[in-house]
Amino acid sequence: MKETISVSPVTRIEGHLGVKIETDNGRVTSAHVVGEMFRGFEQILRGRDPLDAQQVTQRICGVCPVEHGIASVLAQDAAYGITPPPNGRLLRNLAQAANFITSHITHFYLLSGLDFVDVAQVTTYTGNDPALVALRDWAKSELANNTVSAGGPFLPQFPAQLIRDPALNLGILRHYLEAIAVRRDGHKLGALFLGKLPHAATLIPGGVTEKVSAIQIAAARALLERIRIFVEQVYLPDVVAVAGAFPAYFDLGRSCGNFLAYDVFPETDTGSPFLPAGALIGGRLQRVDAAAIAEDVRYSWYSSASGRRPTEGETVADPHKSGAYSWLKAPRYSGKPMEVGTLARLLVAYHDGRNTTVKSAIDGLLKALGRPAAALDSVLGRHAARALESKLLVECCARWLDQLVPDQPTSVDFKIPATASGMGLTEAARGALGHWIEIKDHKIANYQCVVPTTWNCSPRDDRDQPGPLEQSLVGTPVADPAAPIEAARVIRSFDPCLACAVH
Amino acid sequence: MEPMTRRSFLTLSLRLATVMGLGASAAPALADALERIVRGRAPTLWLQGQCCSGCSVSLLDSEPVGADALLTRDIALAFHQTLSGATGHQAVETVDRAIAAGGFLLVVEGSVPMDMPQACFFGEEAFGSQLLRAARAAKAVVAVGTCATSGGIPAAEGNPTGAISVPEFLRRSGLSVPCISIPGCPAHPDWIVGTLTHVLGFGLPPLDDRGRPKAFFDKLVHDQCPRFADYEREVFAEKFSDDGCLFRLGCAGPITKADCNLRLWNGGTSSCIKAGAPCIGCAWEGFAAKRDFPFYLKNGQLQPKPKGHA
Repeated sequence: MKETISVSPVTRIEGHLGVKIETDNGRVTSAHVVGEMFRGFEQILRGRDPLDAQQVTQRICGVCPVEHGIASVLAQDAAYGITPPPNGRLLRNLAQAANFITSHITHFYLLSGLDFVDVAQVTTYTGNDPALVALRDWAKSELANNTVSAGGPFLPQFPAQLIRDPALNLGILRHYLEAIAVRRDGHKLGALFLGKLPHAATLIPGGVTEKVSAIQIAAARALLERIRIFVEQVYLPDVVAVAGAFPAYFDLGRSCGNFLAYDVFPETDTGSPFLPAGALIGGRLQRVDAAAIAEDVRYSWYSSASGRRPTEGETVADPHKSGAYSWLKAPRYSGKPMEVGTLARLLVAYHDGRNTTVKSAIDGLLKALGRPAAALDSVLGRHAARALESKLLVECCARWLDQLVPDQPTSVDFKIPATASGMGLTEAARGALGHWIEIKDHKIANYQCVVPTTWNCSPRDDRDQPGPLEQSLVGTPVADPAAPIEAARVIRSFDPCLACAVH
Repeated sequence: MEPMTRRSFLTLSLRLATVMGLGASAAPALADALERIVRGRAPTLWLQGQCCSGCSVSLLDSEPVGADALLTRDIALAFHQTLSGATGHQAVETVDRAIAAGGFLLVVEGSVPMDMPQACFFGEEAFGSQLLRAARAAKAVVAVGTCATSGGIPAAEGNPTGAISVPEFLRRSGLSVPCISIPGCPAHPDWIVGTLTHVLGFGLPPLDDRGRPKAFFDKLVHDQCPRFADYEREVFAEKFSDDGCLFRLGCAGPITKADCNLRLWNGGTSSCIKAGAPCIGCAWEGFAAKRDFPFYLKNGQLQPKPKGHA
């Protein structure tokens, strides 16, 4: 029997996303992913001062502002011909890594967590953990009062098979509450050098305005230690435990088969990233060629030309365009849809093999999961990759803090040429992020962003190839069309960020 | 207004129960109902328009009122797109039930695309239509973040969607529901938590002529600046990372009202100016509005020294 199911809005992600799926005999046969919100950042940037860009583009997304700021200052560094001093590079790395860790913890517990955890079960809690007792009493009184929104925002959940083991279920619920405090620490770690978060104040071409002092380094170490304990003792074990409770999800949500990552976290002033760039296509790793990136718009609500490279990209809205179904463009690499994100970064690093720390960490994770490397290409693989990357980045942050030198410069001065252009490629928590700036007459003549979720949640391209999430959904079983939890788990495993994707 | 105690709720309810002919036994239930409304148990409905979720993320950074305590004690959050368990049609139904019940506090994050309604959807409904339904049923509206209070970046010059602020949307729709504005890009969590708990516990807080709570937006950033002495002594930064007043680099502290420099961000960690960055006026009503009003004055000429400074 064929059915059409609308999962709209997809909540517990950033932004406005809808997914339409068609099933046949309870299995997804095709999916259309719909970006439902548009603001027009690329037009708004035209004609503005180039230095506005790193502030305006951060406002594309309140979850990944740091990464947009970094991509923008990298594009401007290139355009102005400058390189930050070591302190500036290290502060950018620290801020970016802190945002990755904060984002990953938020995603697993606050966003995806309720796809696995049975919240109402807390009403049967008989232990004496103060946080769970308070949550139980709150949930009981909410349900007893039977108001229209009892238990909001956590309830209602889909009536679906959630975690059955009460110890694991309540444990993760408890960790949801802890995660709120730890992600706050993650933002504090970033804000020590960024002035505030979300929307960092101090990112500028040439480095960072904030200076380095011993007390800041000490404060950062203290925050990092609390984060490290949570990541190693709570987050990673929870992901492994959830994987044990839902083993079928190692077989669901398989990718389109292609992965893309850019260089990120430069370890030296000449580049040399902690995580390397690569295009992993059909299991073969290739060097990334930015000229291979183009964006199709046949099925997007834009009247601008399709198949343009970002350097010559245009964004002209046409909400009435016939046949179009999403505000996302369809970026393609050599014509291929590519999955981006932590999984892509780690798979590229694994195939690259030069970073033995990353390679052996992945091997350790596979051992803990009891799975071969191929199993990472799945719903659970994406969750596990984020937890492992958090652990690796905590270690990186500790090293970068050791390399900071108080009272040494954090930025270099610069002049903005009348005419210039630059490309900034980096990684956001959610994957490969590129900004392209073109300056004429001291003003922004063109600005284009090709953003992680634009890759992952893209609509079909000019050759009718579905986007990565659209492909991943195919084959997913949906037991109850009124409660498509299986599809929701596949969608959320990509950690979609729609404000980013459309901008 | 004095905060009400349980005893005062009971006394009031006993009187009400008698007047309503319900008998004394109905008083505790009535007291519960009253207490729920005044003490923050009136539901809060949080809707997102053209936003980046930055104000929601900022709210998660709240302390000492952590998001966990906020959601289970201080406010009853009927729905929030980024946090709610409900997905798909369940989410639509949850919002619609809250709207049908009415009497809620409506929080709106983001602007409204007036010239291109297709630019923001929730389920199958355009955001503007959803907002209109919700605002009609709400007791009060709180516009959170500069996109909601004055349009922000989505409404900047050259924008393709005709984005407008929430107060402007209410005005054009002829709705006279009370609307509080909490600007900031993002809004500081204290500004949000402080305003919501005031409304729910004590009624409308004192507001200025732009609908902003005076408690947070009464003074200029400049007036509370840690570099104010540098300004007085005419020590001006001429490039980024310099010591001194940031005015010549384009600091918008002298036109922006917000208590960032006293309150600090992220649990007292820092602020833009404290970290050497000029204020870009993110809580100012003209934030990002004009192409020829850049955030920084690095490009070409520095800002001349202010009047009175040679």
